[in-house]
Amino acid sequence: MAHENIKGCIVLKELYYNVEHNTWVKVIDDNTVVIGMTDIAQNLAGPILHAKTKAVGTMRRLGKPIATVESGKYVGPVKSPVAGEITKTNENLANDAQLINRSPYKDGWVVEMKSDNLAEEMKVLVTGDEAVAAYKEKIENDNIEACKHLEGSDTYD
Amino acid sequence: MEDQDHEGKKILVIQTHGVATPTRTYSPLFYAMAAAAMEMEVMVWFTMDGTNQLKKGEAEKVQLDKSSNVTLKTMLEMAMDSEVELRVCQQSLELWDMKPEDLIDGVEILGATSIIDLSLSYDHVMYF
Repeated sequence: MAHENIKGCIVLKELYYNVEHNTWVKVIDDNTVVIGMTDIAQNLAGPILHAKTKAVGTMRRLGKPIATVESGKYVGPVKSPVAGEITKTNENLANDAQLINRSPYKDGWVVEMKSDNLAEEMKVLVTGDEAVAAYKEKIENDNIEACKHLEGSDTYD
Repeated sequence: MEDQDHEGKKILVIQTHGVATPTRTYSPLFYAMAAAAMEMEVMVWFTMDGTNQLKKGEAEKVQLDKSSNVTLKTMLEMAMDSEVELRVCQQSLELWDMKPEDLIDGVEILGATSIIDLSLSYDHVMYF
């Protein structure tokens, strides 16, 4: 899987990103996407204690929360990178929120959404080398410390 | 859809503890940020001893997490970044001999009658 390791933080090139909100988007079909938190986001939050997704059927505008996550030192929203309806949530997060820490791009996905206007929504997201460059800049500018990974985290090499 | 029903509700957090009791300063701000993350409208009202943490230069002296650089100032800034409104009691300012220019940026002053109005108009009040 093509990826870049920036100070220990993994960016998968095949995904689309909202860099400001630290979320990723994986396109499933013409109007369906899966959304999650990035490796950098899980690192900033620290070991996550609770992750509460919004209910299936919830309509979201861009930037509105699809979930809230909390650790011992952080609480905040996971902001939706697209507008649409939540059609599925990751039920495993209720019992094991640290799936987001250990597997941010795979088992720790947060919600699936349907959007009627996906092509347009995706235009503001970045992918591939553009995403890598944007994250390098963000990590530098925000002085983000090297990503830490819990035991049992996914490996990418 | 239970969660969505809470969006837009208004929470008023009243904080009466300040720099002399650091362990009583963290949670009210954390709860306020949690409510903001859940898309609620949140205000923290500082009164009595809670007022002194808003004096310029004071909150950064209160180290909340020894393993990191998180101070009470960090928490106040994070709360404001989360769109939590910070307000202080006019009468408490006088109690601490503080002037409006002594306050950190982003804090507004309201009088006692305002807190009564606010507490009646908010959906829930949390008192610390």
